[in-house]
Amino acid sequence: MQNNDDIVWSIINKSFCSFKVNTKTQKFCRHEYNLTGLCGRYSCPLANSQYATIREEKGIIYLYMRTAERTAFPNKSWEKVKLSRNFEKALQQINENLLYWPNYLKQKCKQRMLKITQYLIRMRKLTLRRQKKLVPLQRKIERRENRREEKALIAARIDTAIEKQLVERLKKGVYGDIYNFPQVAFTKALASEEVQEESDDEREEEYNEGGREEEEEMEEETRAALEDATEYVEAESDDEDMESDEEHEFTDEGPEESEVEDIEDMARPSTSKGKKSKVSVEYELEQALPEKTKVKN
Amino acid sequence: MASALARPLITVYSEKNEKTGTSLHLPVVFKAPIRPDVVSFVHHQMSKNRRQPYAVNKDAGHQTSAESWGTGRAVARIPRVRGGGTHRSGQGAFGNMCRGGRMFAPTKTWRRWHRRINVNQRRFALVSSIAASGVPALVMSKGHMVHDIPELPLVVSDKVQSFNKTKQAVIFLRRIKAWTDVQKVYRSRRLRAGKGKMRNRRRVQRRGPLIIYGEDQGLKLAFRNIPGVDVCSVKKLSLLKLAPGGHVGRFIIWTESAFRALDAIYGTWSSPSSEKKDYNLPTPKMTNTDLSRLLKAEEIRKVLRTPHKRPVRAVRKQNPLRNVRAMLKLNPYAAVLKRKAILTIQKKHLDKQEFLAKKTGVPLQKTKQQVRYEQLIQKRKEAIQKSKAAKPKTAKKAKKAPAAK
Repeated sequence: MQNNDDIVWSIINKSFCSFKVNTKTQKFCRHEYNLTGLCGRYSCPLANSQYATIREEKGIIYLYMRTAERTAFPNKSWEKVKLSRNFEKALQQINENLLYWPNYLKQKCKQRMLKITQYLIRMRKLTLRRQKKLVPLQRKIERRENRREEKALIAARIDTAIEKQLVERLKKGVYGDIYNFPQVAFTKALASEEVQEESDDEREEEYNEGGREEEEEMEEETRAALEDATEYVEAESDDEDMESDEEHEFTDEGPEESEVEDIEDMARPSTSKGKKSKVSVEYELEQALPEKTKVKN
Repeated sequence: MASALARPLITVYSEKNEKTGTSLHLPVVFKAPIRPDVVSFVHHQMSKNRRQPYAVNKDAGHQTSAESWGTGRAVARIPRVRGGGTHRSGQGAFGNMCRGGRMFAPTKTWRRWHRRINVNQRRFALVSSIAASGVPALVMSKGHMVHDIPELPLVVSDKVQSFNKTKQAVIFLRRIKAWTDVQKVYRSRRLRAGKGKMRNRRRVQRRGPLIIYGEDQGLKLAFRNIPGVDVCSVKKLSLLKLAPGGHVGRFIIWTESAFRALDAIYGTWSSPSSEKKDYNLPTPKMTNTDLSRLLKAEEIRKVLRTPHKRPVRAVRKQNPLRNVRAMLKLNPYAAVLKRKAILTIQKKHLDKQEFLAKKTGVPLQKTKQQVRYEQLIQKRKEAIQKSKAAKPKTAKKAKKAPAAK
């Protein structure tokens, strides 16, 4: 039952072929040695034991040939011939090698070689121009990551972290004697903070509200201190410190940036206590996004 | 061209993918007819044999004492649940359209789950699938990655049978370049689509190579943990393994002893099988299946009649009584008669004119044609008389058609 080509074709065509792709109008063949890319009786590499293709690897065009004798030895079945870079010489080479072969194969090989040389030329031209790399986005993944970003942002609770940082700095004495608060309010705020830290997980809401209220009060007071500069000491020194951009940097951008950097450091120890933020957030403000042209499917 | 049933030599490869000296004749099984329809049918039937019955509870939907309210109550006549005091009372029951009713045709356990298949059909399918596994094109079309193996059918030395470590098995598969097929299995691992997930059929994967051995000396243990790889004894070949999915062309790795045993198990056409009672391989309908070559062959062309390149088309019937040519086709003498008739008419006409001319005394003006005609007649008479005088014995009558008038 040898000379199988017809049998093979009748089986492949009617039942299953793993390389066949069916569209409404056409049948394609995904076999890498297929000459035309279509699924048909004389272009199927499986159904023709005598077959030839043209393939291109890294810019070099090769002619592949297979004869009926070699079909039983799959790793040796394809004979590879390197074609000349000169198109006419390559055509002659094809004629030479495929002498006495069926005309269909010869014709299609030449056509394919032409197409390949054309697209290689185009590729070379393109590389001379501007190189824009197209990066395909995977919609599912992008959506997932965006949502996770949002959640991480919420989980990080940046506002509270900033507030904590500021208060800690105050405590440490980073701001020196710039801000002067009434002693009572200060101790109250500290106390509320301690309580907050203790029962963070359980009664977050209440204490957050309480704490925030008090911290807001505190912030208001600090603002008041800045603005009024009446009852408290060294209003002038405030202004001086405001004007001079030394370590503290009271420009608009400064505190935010430094806070942000510190917040990242803060985020790790604070999260070890409380909730774990699964995603580390890079929170960059007012910077241009990296240039990428995005290809959306 | 080698004869269709020539049996090539297959080299046996060592477990390190080197050619050992031994080469075996291809068993005749590989020449059996490949019948994907038979394989598909038998596989379909065989796969039903492993089923477990399912059915709904036989009481389902009938555990009520519902009765129809009949007509006259402005409700549909479906049986309704008796009693009161609960939502359920008055609701329809028993029908397949009712909520809480039994389904249409409740499934029964005594459905015929298993199918019997004729022994010969089973063997035919098996033999077909073995034959198909020897055709590289079919194995490739099934999707197996066999482009790097040294030969198909792939026969390996019996050393493989004594592997007992999976590591050895993996190294072996790598060496003979069958590992790409196994990798394909790895890559194809995914969750099943559909409810099968929650019915203990959660994961799906491709099928990889099938290893057929003569004697198991540990081979099963070595290969069983490699995903996709199946292992089978020659004596117990199963269609479900040789043609998974009902499609022919599984990638098979034979051990030497298994390959040798095939001829004895399935027989050759000249000798029946020694292992199976009364069995011989199916004979193919065509020994030479290369149709295109056959049609161009001299032996066949000689016997055929010449092709009709010009088809004979139906001709419209012409009425011979109205169409002269149609009449002439049927009765050529009709031309003579017609001509005769015409001539007699003309003669009569001429005679009449002459008569009139005589009577009136007016000399008749003869047309050129008439003059010529008379001259022609005269000439003929003279010619005839001459010839008669010359050859009195053979008197030829000059048959000349009258001059055209």
